[in-house]
Amino acid sequence: MSTTRKTAARVLGIDGVPIVTALVIVTVYFSATVPAFLDGEGLRYYLNEEVPIFIITAGLALVIIAGGIDLSIGAVLGLSAGTSLLASMHGAPVILAVLVGVGTGAAFGLLNGLVIVKLRLNDFIVTLGTLNIAAGLLVVLTDHVQITGTDDARYLAIANHSVLSVSSALVLAVLVVAVLQAVLVKSAFGRRVRASGAGASPALVAGVDAGRTKLYAYVVSGSLAGFGGVLLASRLNSVQPGMAGGYELSAIAAAVLGGVSLAGGRGAIWQAAVGGLLLATLKQGFRLTGVDPLVFSIIIGVCILVGVIVDRSVYRLALTLGSPASVSPRPEPARASGGPGR
Amino acid sequence: MSAITSRALGESLRTRFLGDPAVGILSLLVVAAVVMSAYEPTFATTGNVTNIVNAMVTVSFLSIGMTVVLIAGGLDLSVGSTMGLCAGVAAKLLTYGLPMPVAFLGALAAGAGIGLLNGLLITRLGIPDFIATLAMLGIAGGVLLYWTTGVPILGYMTPTYYYIGGLTRLIGPITVPMILVAVIAVGVSVLLRHTRFGVMFYAVGSSPTGALHAGVRVARVKTAAYVISGLMAAVAGIHIAGRTTTVPPLIGNGYEITAIAAAVIGGASLAGGKGRVFGALVGALTLTLTRNIINLTGVESSWQAVVTGLVLIVAITANQTWSVLSARSRARALTRTISVSRAHAPSTRREGMASEAPATQRHPETTP
Repeated sequence: MSTTRKTAARVLGIDGVPIVTALVIVTVYFSATVPAFLDGEGLRYYLNEEVPIFIITAGLALVIIAGGIDLSIGAVLGLSAGTSLLASMHGAPVILAVLVGVGTGAAFGLLNGLVIVKLRLNDFIVTLGTLNIAAGLLVVLTDHVQITGTDDARYLAIANHSVLSVSSALVLAVLVVAVLQAVLVKSAFGRRVRASGAGASPALVAGVDAGRTKLYAYVVSGSLAGFGGVLLASRLNSVQPGMAGGYELSAIAAAVLGGVSLAGGRGAIWQAAVGGLLLATLKQGFRLTGVDPLVFSIIIGVCILVGVIVDRSVYRLALTLGSPASVSPRPEPARASGGPGR
Repeated sequence: MSAITSRALGESLRTRFLGDPAVGILSLLVVAAVVMSAYEPTFATTGNVTNIVNAMVTVSFLSIGMTVVLIAGGLDLSVGSTMGLCAGVAAKLLTYGLPMPVAFLGALAAGAGIGLLNGLLITRLGIPDFIATLAMLGIAGGVLLYWTTGVPILGYMTPTYYYIGGLTRLIGPITVPMILVAVIAVGVSVLLRHTRFGVMFYAVGSSPTGALHAGVRVARVKTAAYVISGLMAAVAGIHIAGRTTTVPPLIGNGYEITAIAAAVIGGASLAGGKGRVFGALVGALTLTLTRNIINLTGVESSWQAVVTGLVLIVAITANQTWSVLSARSRARALTRTISVSRAHAPSTRREGMASEAPATQRHPETTP
């Protein structure tokens, strides 16, 4: 085996290298070809627009690392935006309005976690069901029309306040990602998340209650979806049925592009956020080059597939070449099947 | 003698009917229908019944396809989008002035193509089923949206298409889609139950490794299941384009959840290897009837999505409980058989235990 290939695999095997490389390439490409791309106002606008997706991506990455999947985050984000804005419109002080939004999300996270863990049901189907429930409740809440808006200037300032010429929403999103990454890497809870996602037996060996850990991960993901909803409602000051529908697709694409393994146990929050940044950059670049925004869902779908394929091949390469980084404690299913007694 | 026969008959009836969740659900539906017709005068009218059956047909096509995929151990999230895209293909080709068979063949080819792509992504590239089909959901939906530029497709309806959409009746209350769904249901049922090819779906779904060792081409069988699902989505698309007389770009949104719920209600399991066509039809009827009852009893139509979500979770819970209970009773029966055989041949006991233990340990690893 040639040394260049080995070195390439070593470098690619380092966590985060593939996604950061991709982001740099895409950014350089668009900066060079589209003059309007580096315009500060445009950059700020598109980053602001993506804030809710960054936030749910962080929560989703945590759930995936814990061995689950949460499809309900987009719909829960929309519903939380609705409950929070309605609370503010009915005169609730800003703290209470925020709590209502985050609480809505946390309640859905708890519901997801309890049903999945206690009844031992498939993550994916349960959250598909709660997706429908949340989306339906938003239709009920808004009664099929757009609701607008609150007069509470402090509520509107949550997302629109300017901090060092950057919006407060973006600052909050960066904070969320940083805190969650620190929790995942440094805290006991984070270790439990990684252990329980790595598979039942490593978690059992380490004495981790995998079910409870997963339940908490769902509550975190739901709460973050609620918080993202508050930021969305605060930025737009209006909520309509069907809002944030399909955000879960973007978040899954972001997490997968960021190298979060769908098998659980492997990945990082910041990498998922960079994946989200890559998607946002692609969106903005295509928008400026005049590509129809209607094709974005095609791009996102393709990104999901490319992300999974690249992740698998990089992982396999790293595994065969024995790169020290990014080798998870979980044995590959193909190897596990040739277990003892064969 | 007669006591034994009647007990055997009872046993066989019990396993045949009470052992089948679909029959239980069907009897619940009958009760609901009887109550509704007593309570709500508009329920039992010909118009409403035709409505129910016509709406059920669309879901039936999708849930039959979904059942085949679930039996083979997969999951197809792209059926709603595929149905929408195929409806778009059929309608667009008709507006271009192409003859109807060509337009329908185009739609079927699109559906089969998407199914083939799903199958290849999953079996050749090893992408998890739900991720590959979730991506396809986005892609197919995006293609229809881009193609129609967000504007509904209009002006393709012909008198013949009214027949295919079920809006014009054939004889009495019978419509073309009713006949079509019956033919397809019988066809797929025969395929699954009485052909070598059909049995392979169950084999692949219940134990991919075992099927592989038995010489089944697992990848091909699974791909075939996705192609069948894509074809069924295309048939549903051709039908729904006639039923709604326009094709809005988001026509297929949310149908995947209805299809999964219908298949699961009918006894298909996400673990694979289980499910049947009759169950898929019962599931489709359950969801359609629930919606109809919601509408007639004057509950806000906005609650429909909430109810569908709840029905899905309840159905999967019931399905899980059912399989746990039946596994337990099967285990109990097995214990009884083993204890009987032990009594007859005590010397084989140790051997049996020894070969049993590692197999049960290995099991959770071989089927991750």
